[in-house]
Amino acid sequence: MKDRNFEIVAAAQDTGGEVAAGRWYDRAHATFTTLIDAQHAVSTAFQFINVPMGIWIDEKGRVVRPAEPAWNTDQVMKIAAGKDIVTEGAVYTNALRDWVTNGERSAYALSDAEFARRVKPRSAGEMEADASFKLAVWFHGKNDDARAAKHWEHAQQLNPDDWNYARQQWAFTPEQAGKNWMDKFQKLDGPYYPKLDMSAEPAKKQ
Amino acid sequence: MRRVSIVNRPGLNRRRLLLSAAAPVLCPARAASPSATVLYGDRATPVEKIRPDPKELWVRAADLPRINGFEVKPQGACRADMCIPVPKDLKSGEWFNLSGFARRIRQAYVADAGVWSFGEIPAVRADFYDSRIAPDFAVPDRAGRIVHLSAFRGKKVLVVSWASW
Repeated sequence: MKDRNFEIVAAAQDTGGEVAAGRWYDRAHATFTTLIDAQHAVSTAFQFINVPMGIWIDEKGRVVRPAEPAWNTDQVMKIAAGKDIVTEGAVYTNALRDWVTNGERSAYALSDAEFARRVKPRSAGEMEADASFKLAVWFHGKNDDARAAKHWEHAQQLNPDDWNYARQQWAFTPEQAGKNWMDKFQKLDGPYYPKLDMSAEPAKKQ
Repeated sequence: MRRVSIVNRPGLNRRRLLLSAAAPVLCPARAASPSATVLYGDRATPVEKIRPDPKELWVRAADLPRINGFEVKPQGACRADMCIPVPKDLKSGEWFNLSGFARRIRQAYVADAGVWSFGEIPAVRADFYDSRIAPDFAVPDRAGRIVHLSAFRGKKVLVVSWASW
């Protein structure tokens, strides 16, 4: 879709940097823009709380659709009884193609009212969690693992809904990461990836 | 260096030293020239000179622009077209109380070992909620070149996150 004045910018949320993320870009033979986002700056900017999440931005720099799961395949992962992980790739990519073709006339380009309904300012706790996560990344970069762990954990306590905070920390203890993930997943009330709301805007249905 | 040798002198009981008037020499670096590192957005700013204070982060007003883009002016702390009045108690000579200012503008911060991490500034962030203009970011690509989101202005963009973990 590049010929339609459309760009994909992929941002690896990897404090481990190129060492952690690079080979996955190689394997995907990426032809799009590939970022190494060690500080999770993109998640901070757009309120991404898991991966993959996506945001659509138009030619004027306006957000067309805020953060939502951004898969390109349909999968149902049966993890535990009654707790499937569902990815909705087809509906997402079809909507994306529609917007790339039709721009603001696309039924998937959200109105201001719908944008406001979906995007909520971060709470005080969420803002402190993000500051704490950044401090953890700093200490990790200085090989101060004890301080990094302290602030990673503080971030998770303040914002337990953010899986990036937890999974990033677990990535540095891979032998325990699977169990950590399962324990948190089992306690989850709602879906791991929120269901996409790709309903067309009422005003654009006529 | 001489002070350190006192601490290490054989026969000098560590507990007695701590109880003695000489105790402050245990952290001479902190007392002599306090410094800090300030994290804000994608910036990590070394601040060579801060005012000694056990609780607050006082920086020189002159350092504010490189820390968070604000500039202290007569009408307040200003950034782009925004000016936030600064109460008198947050200023003292050349010093500006950055942690106090953060509390005033409801900006979260956490600090440890001389590193202060400041969260988003709600008044700046509000612009995104109101205007829907995507906040810019500056993140390196695989070759270490900094990529700004704003460089894609004029195109439709999908920004998508993923991770190796």
